[in-house]
Amino acid sequence: MRPDDRKYTKTHEWVKLDGDSILVGITDFAVNELCSGNESDLVYCDLPDPGRELEEGETFGEIESVKAVADLNTPIAGKVLEVNISIEEHLEILSRDPFKDGWIVRLEPKSKSLDDPMLMDVADYEKLIAAEEPSA
Amino acid sequence: MPETWRLLTTWDGEPGFNMALDEALFLHGGSHPTLRFYTWKPTALSLGYFQKIASVPQGQRAALCVRRLTGGGAIYHSDELTFSISAPLEHPLYRGEVKGSYERIHAALAQAFAEFDVDAKMRGESSLSSDSEDSVMCFHHSTPLDLVWGARKGVGSAQRRSSGRVLHHGSIKFKATPFEPGVAGLHEHVPELAPAELALCIQRHFAERFCLAFTPTEIQPGEASHVRERAPFFTSEEFVASR
Repeated sequence: MRPDDRKYTKTHEWVKLDGDSILVGITDFAVNELCSGNESDLVYCDLPDPGRELEEGETFGEIESVKAVADLNTPIAGKVLEVNISIEEHLEILSRDPFKDGWIVRLEPKSKSLDDPMLMDVADYEKLIAAEEPSA
Repeated sequence: MPETWRLLTTWDGEPGFNMALDEALFLHGGSHPTLRFYTWKPTALSLGYFQKIASVPQGQRAALCVRRLTGGGAIYHSDELTFSISAPLEHPLYRGEVKGSYERIHAALAQAFAEFDVDAKMRGESSLSSDSEDSVMCFHHSTPLDLVWGARKGVGSAQRRSSGRVLHHGSIKFKATPFEPGVAGLHEHVPELAPAELALCIQRHFAERFCLAFTPTEIQPGEASHVRERAPFFTSEEFVASR
């Protein structure tokens, strides 16, 4: 069971209120799509500079596995307060602990509400990924 | 009922044109996937999206460099057939793990190559004689998902996944190039094999294996406009030397 203390997007990001700020990360499902459980397949991560203003839905970074590049998007608008520099050097953190140590950016949000209808609770997110599993 | 895919062939395209057209198909391709076959004129070296240009000495020797939207190592686009697939990420060929999508696409390519008596397989866990740790070229590094024959890599491939869409690049070598010695090439098996003949064979196997009907098309006006605007960017110092 994934954590129920945050909201999820259909593009497999999560957002979590953490005091006055919001943490953004990607889910285990997103990580597994890229590396199929082989944490060494994650090879590079490009993260934004602190201070950058992000709009809702904006791409703020990119992650590369040995066979694919994927965008990192924020579902919440805000200013980048901090990036998790430890994952730049140790991408395996994203595979081992995507929901805690694998947070990617900390934002000062324009709104602290996570009531956006585009954001899902964990139960709805798990229904979504169950439907996304390939049938063949 | 076969699923309709768009088919686009553009022979001897300039490097910037080739990359800009793939970008147009990736960003604005619509709900029907597009299979595109192309070749390059002049030949050019393409850098992987994240590659540092300073780490690619071949960039000094190549007449022209572009940077791809897809990752991985550098490729010298000479004596090859290049293909791209642009599709919604929810398409059954691409939905889910990246690994599964390569398995499906490479199985179809291997079937096509078998027509030329090429026994192509995914590499699996064995290493290749074409691997070279010191090289930054795509064809000198392999993963278990790569399509190989004769213990050498013969197809370079990479994907970009963004905003619900996927761009899949594939580069199929006819023979080794000055920058990519020791790689597998289809001309070892069929010396006169032409890009158009190989493209037709691959198209046929994709159609059979995935139950597809291809509709040959021209470049659409919106795509042509995108290419005119963006082609210079892909060969520009701003992009090529951005890392």
